[in-house]
Amino acid sequence: MNFWTRITNPEDRHPFFDQIEKLFKNRTGVAGLIIITLFVLTSILAPVISPHDPVENALYDQLKPPVWKEGGSTKNLLGTDDLGRDMLSRLIYGARVSLTLGIVSVGIALLFGSMLGALAGYYKGWPDNIIMRIMDIILAFPYILLAIVIVAYLGPGLRNAMIAIGVINIPRFARIIRASAIEEYEKDYVTAARAVGASNRRIIFNAIFPNCLSPIIVQASLGFGEAILSGAGLSFLGLGAQPPLSEWGAMIAEGRSMILRAWWVMTFPGIAILLAVLGFNLLGDGLRDALDPRLRD
Amino acid sequence: MSVEHLLEVRNLKTYFDVRGGVLKAVDDVSFTVEAGETLGLVGESGCGKTVTANSIMRLVPIPPGRIAGGEILFEGIDVLKLTASEMRKVRGNKISMIFQEPMTSLNPVFTVGDQVAEVISLHKKLSQREIRDRVIEAFRLVRIPAPESRINDYPHQMSGGMRQRVIIAMALACNPKLMIADEPSTALDVTIQAQILDLMNNLKEETGASILFITHDLGVIAEMAQRVAVMYAGKIMEAADADTLFGDPQHPYTIGLMTSIPVLGIGKKEKRLSTIPGVVPSLFKLPPGCLFNERCSVAHKECGHLEPPMIDLGHGHIVRCHKYA
Repeated sequence: MNFWTRITNPEDRHPFFDQIEKLFKNRTGVAGLIIITLFVLTSILAPVISPHDPVENALYDQLKPPVWKEGGSTKNLLGTDDLGRDMLSRLIYGARVSLTLGIVSVGIALLFGSMLGALAGYYKGWPDNIIMRIMDIILAFPYILLAIVIVAYLGPGLRNAMIAIGVINIPRFARIIRASAIEEYEKDYVTAARAVGASNRRIIFNAIFPNCLSPIIVQASLGFGEAILSGAGLSFLGLGAQPPLSEWGAMIAEGRSMILRAWWVMTFPGIAILLAVLGFNLLGDGLRDALDPRLRD
Repeated sequence: MSVEHLLEVRNLKTYFDVRGGVLKAVDDVSFTVEAGETLGLVGESGCGKTVTANSIMRLVPIPPGRIAGGEILFEGIDVLKLTASEMRKVRGNKISMIFQEPMTSLNPVFTVGDQVAEVISLHKKLSQREIRDRVIEAFRLVRIPAPESRINDYPHQMSGGMRQRVIIAMALACNPKLMIADEPSTALDVTIQAQILDLMNNLKEETGASILFITHDLGVIAEMAQRVAVMYAGKIMEAADADTLFGDPQHPYTIGLMTSIPVLGIGKKEKRLSTIPGVVPSLFKLPPGCLFNERCSVAHKECGHLEPPMIDLGHGHIVRCHKYA
């Protein structure tokens, strides 16, 4: 019963797919899924759909308002910033940055968090104590402060911001997986796996881990939104994406001095962040409803 | 080495260090299982049957458990001295285990075929196709109808009886020498229970594997075992071949157990079912002397302070009671 190689071809679907089907019946989940699909499509198709080069300056078109305001033109649908760069194109390319940031930082958190959590939950005793106390220490730091410390140490930049956000999210995954692993450890099939001669590693990754997938998926989805938000926060503080890269948080930072003259420079990236985070949170809630056995009808 | 037994447990002591003292779950237990025979290990809940089985498989969690003494010789080799990786090669391969709860002993996220395949792939170097063939063969052996399609089922798609057959197929997959069956039929309803017991008897004939059969059900033991050992509070009280034990029990505890089996339609109406007075002593506060003396109808003074030795009555019939000293 390897998770990846199988000798059987089940006619019936894996029980997991029934739960996915449930997700599609859940309105919040579907709403989240639609937003995220748009978000992903936007980032993939950025070069095709964006009307302008996001870093191209146009000195005669500085701070143009959006098309529906007086002085706006169809050339720049959402206006331009103080360097005359097209807002819409910058927002579209910003989706790419945010998506990468989400994938990488959640990936880091998921990989290390689930390994540490599974080890702690399986071995208990002193490995559990050491791992989870370190996790507690990380959690004790204010979230953004710790990220600032890590980025300050590694140096500002998008890559380091992603690493920092990944690291501070490790404890969340570790805790969830530890809790599920402890619960699954008590089940008879774990003893049964040991009784047929499976090694500890095999029991953890082949018997326990696949049974802990539901809470991991939910946390990954919620964590994705949170990572985008943190990334925007770090960029706003000048520690994440560096100019001229179009990142939503950095765009807000650039626009904040012009809020009274040109509200759109700051508002549109804010709405973009809001929508993306909302999408992942809605999906996360929908997934929780679909996957959590306690909420099953 | 005199006679080679398939399994010989010598003076096994499995203790648990818990808050409040040491629990002697298995205390000085000795028995043998010969090739091709079924040994029944019978006793009340909490008497140490399952701990004995788990000690043989080295599945007792350490700590709080520990093997305080004794030897477990399987084919002449002490399994207690094997390294963890050597032990993994024994589990599921030479000694396998059948569990009580078919509903929870299978992993819910894998098909039953994959779970049987896992056992084979852990112990044999075979191609995917050969493994698949062996899984189907194992399913056929345990009389699961249409094995080619049933291997694709998830546990939740099967009934309790079918799942128990899958668990037996897992236990048989590597042709083990010894199967330890820990209450394999207890969680099933009576008709399915009879089918599973029949199946196990047939499989023993077909594969020649020995069975260590653990149960609290004397009726099941009578059907399955050639020899029987009766456990009480961590010690073996009496052991004999099945016919002798059922026909001529000697230990007051065994006699008490036999007379408390209800018999349908026999006996006068006013005659109540006889019981053994009292309750099993707590493992924390074992009585001095004979463990059974507080509940024994024939106990005398000596029983209250002197532990009875194991007495050999001949023909492999042993009993732990002062009556026969």
